[in-house]
Parts: sequence; C-alpha cells; structure tokens
Amino acid sequence: MNPFMFKTGNSLLHGLDTRCKVFLVCMVSLSLVNADFPACGILFGVLAFFTKDIGLRIGQTLKHLRYFILFLIFILLSRALTISGDPLVSLHGMTISIQGLYQGSLVGLRFFLIMITGLVFSATTQPSSLKSAAQWYLKPIPFVPEKRVAIMISLALRFLPLLIQQAQETSNAICARCGNLEKNPVKRFIRLTLPLLKKTFLSADHLILAMEARCYCEDRTDPKFEPSGKESIFIVVSLAFWFCLLLA
Amino acid sequence: MATQILEINDLTHRYPDGDGGIFDISFSVNKGEFIILAGQNGSGKTTLIRHLNGLFKPEKGTIRLHGQDIFKDLTHTRKTVGMVFQDADTQIVCDTVFDEVAFGPENLNLDRTIVNTKVNTVLDQLNLTQLKDRNPATLSGGEKRKLTIAGILAMDPEVIVFDEPFANLDYPGTQSLLAVISALNKNGQTIIMATHDVETVMQSASRLLIISRGRLVADGEMTEMIRHLESNGIKPPCTCTMEPSFPPMSMNPPCQ
Repeated sequence: MNPFMFKTGNSLLHGLDTRCKVFLVCMVSLSLVNADFPACGILFGVLAFFTKDIGLRIGQTLKHLRYFILFLIFILLSRALTISGDPLVSLHGMTISIQGLYQGSLVGLRFFLIMITGLVFSATTQPSSLKSAAQWYLKPIPFVPEKRVAIMISLALRFLPLLIQQAQETSNAICARCGNLEKNPVKRFIRLTLPLLKKTFLSADHLILAMEARCYCEDRTDPKFEPSGKESIFIVVSLAFWFCLLLA
Repeated sequence: MATQILEINDLTHRYPDGDGGIFDISFSVNKGEFIILAGQNGSGKTTLIRHLNGLFKPEKGTIRLHGQDIFKDLTHTRKTVGMVFQDADTQIVCDTVFDEVAFGPENLNLDRTIVNTKVNTVLDQLNLTQLKDRNPATLSGGEKRKLTIAGILAMDPEVIVFDEPFANLDYPGTQSLLAVISALNKNGQTIIMATHDVETVMQSASRLLIISRGRLVADGEMTEMIRHLESNGIKPPCTCTMEPSFPPMSMNPPCQ
C-alpha cells in the first residue's frame, strides 16, 4: 500500500468528475510555472486542506516521500551553491548565496507541490476513471484512436505491477542458483532480461487470446461520467488563479 | 430429447513444428451437460477447447453452434461459448473487479445501464460485490478464478469452457470454485472442463471425454469411462485404485 494508490472515500475531490480533476491538475502545474512564494503558499494551504479532507496521514505520506524530499534538498543545495549573489555563508571556499537559497527553495517548493497535487489526484481517482477521462479528452483529436489508447492505459496500469513481480521472481530464481555471484553487470542483465522478456511475450500472447475470447473490439460501450455539480466552481477558481499569476 | 448446442466433426489441428495437435475429433455437446475433458499434459486438451469459440481455426473439420458454423459470426460464438483460461493473471485485463466484469459486455457495445445491471447481478451471484472496487492484483487465487468466471457470466454464455480451473489452487479455493461451477451447472449452464484432476470434479460431472495424443479415445458417462483413465496416463480417483470392480456404491469415498 502506498499513498499514490486510490482510496475509497466521500471527500469533495472523490465526488468530483475525473475530467475536471485532470483539468485542475493541468491548471495547478501551469500556475506553478509562474508561482512565487505567496502563490505557492496559497496552493500549499489548498492542498493541505484537501490532503486532510481525503484522510491522508501527513507523517506517513512524508515517510513514503522521504527519497523525493532528499532529492528536493539536493536541488536546494545545488541551487544555493551555484547561483551567484550576496553571500550568506562561506565555508571552505563554498558560498551559499541569498539569491541561490531563494531560487533553490522556490524550485524545491514547486516540485513538492506538484508531487502533492499528483498524490491527491491519484488517491481520489480510480484508475478506470482516469482511463475514461483520457479517452474523453482524446476523442476530439483526429487520427487518435482514443479507445485503443484508453485500453492501453488500462493494460499498462494492470500489468506494470505484474511485470515488476515477474522481474522479482526471475531475480529470486537466479539468486537461488547463486546467480548473484556473477560480477559482470552485462551478463547479470542478460540473465534477468531474457527470461523476463520471454515470460512477458508469452503473457501478452495469452492476454490477446483472453481479450479475443471476450469479443474485444474498439466499438465498445463508452464510459459514463457522474459530475457532482461543483466542477464549474473549481474550474472558474483555478482559471482565475492562473490568470492572476500571469498578470502578476 | 436433449438440445444439442455444439457439434464437432472430424476436427484436426496440426502445429507447424509437428508437435502435438488434435486429430479427427468428433463429439457433440448437449444443453445442461457437465463434460470433463481429461488427458495428460500435452495431450491436446487446450488445443481442442480453444477451437470451441473460434480462437483457433481447424485445419480440417467443422464446429457447429446450433447448427451454424462458428466462424460465420465469431462475436456470437464467443458470446455464447465463454472461455475461462488456466492462468487467471493473464486473463484479467482491468484494474478493478467491477471493470473486469464489465469488459465483456462493454465489448458487445451494450448500453451502459445494461452493462452495470449485468455486472452487479453477476457480482452478487458469485459473492464478489464487496470486492468490486478492489484491484484484481490484490485478490487471492480463488477470488481471481471467480472473477474470471464472473467476467464470462456477464456475457450470458450458454456454454462455459474451463481450462484447468483448479491449477495452483489450495483445497479451500478448489472447493469454493467447484461449488460455484456445480451451482452454475445445476442452474442449467453447460460446462466443459479440461482437467487432469478428474477426482475433484467426478461427482459433479455427467460425461467424460478422454483425449490421448490428440485423439479422442473415450466418450461416455462418467461411471463407465472412468476405468479408462489410468491406461491413458490420467490419475484415476481413489475409489478406482482401492476397488478394482468400479463403479462402487459411493462416488466420493474418503481417501486415506
């Protein structure tokens, strides 16, 4: 169980139409491009509210994101050390500038907010609704087979964990016969990937048969969306926020 | 007189490498039957059943569904003859139990309301309603098998074909699945099951077909055909090995 998995609930975001949520994620991402500290602060407050509303535990979530937070600290330090400006601290020839610290914190905060946005989105959106929303957004685009893309998204979501599990099983089988003693990384890679690819292609063959057996075709029943009626408010507020940031 | 659903005549399928295949197989399937197709590994069970809903095309011979060649309308054939594959993991396509069951009816382009009604009915029938929002990857082996059956049932098939349904299942999982399959048959569903584990299903089945090296070597009532199992490399039920003059009084004696 990780915080990015869908959690059932009755929060405001759970009830929101997935197409609207996809739009909001895009708007938040676009807004963050121009967001300064005050705007980031507002977004942080909004996201903190929704995180609490959907019942995510802050401590547990941060624990899951610890490597990502380390990555953000690395960005902050690299910016602080490489951007020239008024020195804040100098140690062993390395200088942390005030401007560098400011830029590093801002970039780190933006990345953090994007991550939290993705987390809130995935925790409140069923993968199947995401697939349906992708199909809906792609429908007006000519020459894009939206139903095929939607089923591919569905298959990817379904089979990625299975592939990881198969890779782990293959790796365990190799280790069980002391394959881990092999020091040559190329040989180790080949020993893992060849059986894994063989298994994957066989599984794909079985999958095709199973889909054919259930009359798979592209002329399928369209997904049905159930808007909560609050979508327009969210869309207007997010657009207004984005415009304000563009004008600022 | 029993209503004939499927009629298989002189079915032959050779693989390009010359290994395996099926040869001159003929039999028919009547409504409400529970047929076991028994055979050793590699005897041609899977090859044979994959012809029944048009997944494989025979080199020679015909398969008729209600008197009509199955290849004339493959969608109708696949809707009428549902197939549950051996490996549930590679058969499950969607990321929630509900969507997985809806996959077949959606392919038939049914109205969304009808799809939802069918899915809810089937989930209820197989006691899967409480799992409908779960990711199939998180289900147990037995639950996954039930889910694959639900996915087929939602398409209202007349015949359900199972390929080794009890493979890799523990005892409770096997019993639970067998109860589901038996209940379906009692409600009039025609069942064809390819298996080498005859003992598990012998009480529920009405007819036994034995396939050996791609050829149908026995076809008849379970009690009469069971004596041919061992000579064709299939483990006979405990009763047969303990009592040479089978059929005995009981079909399900305790095995010590």
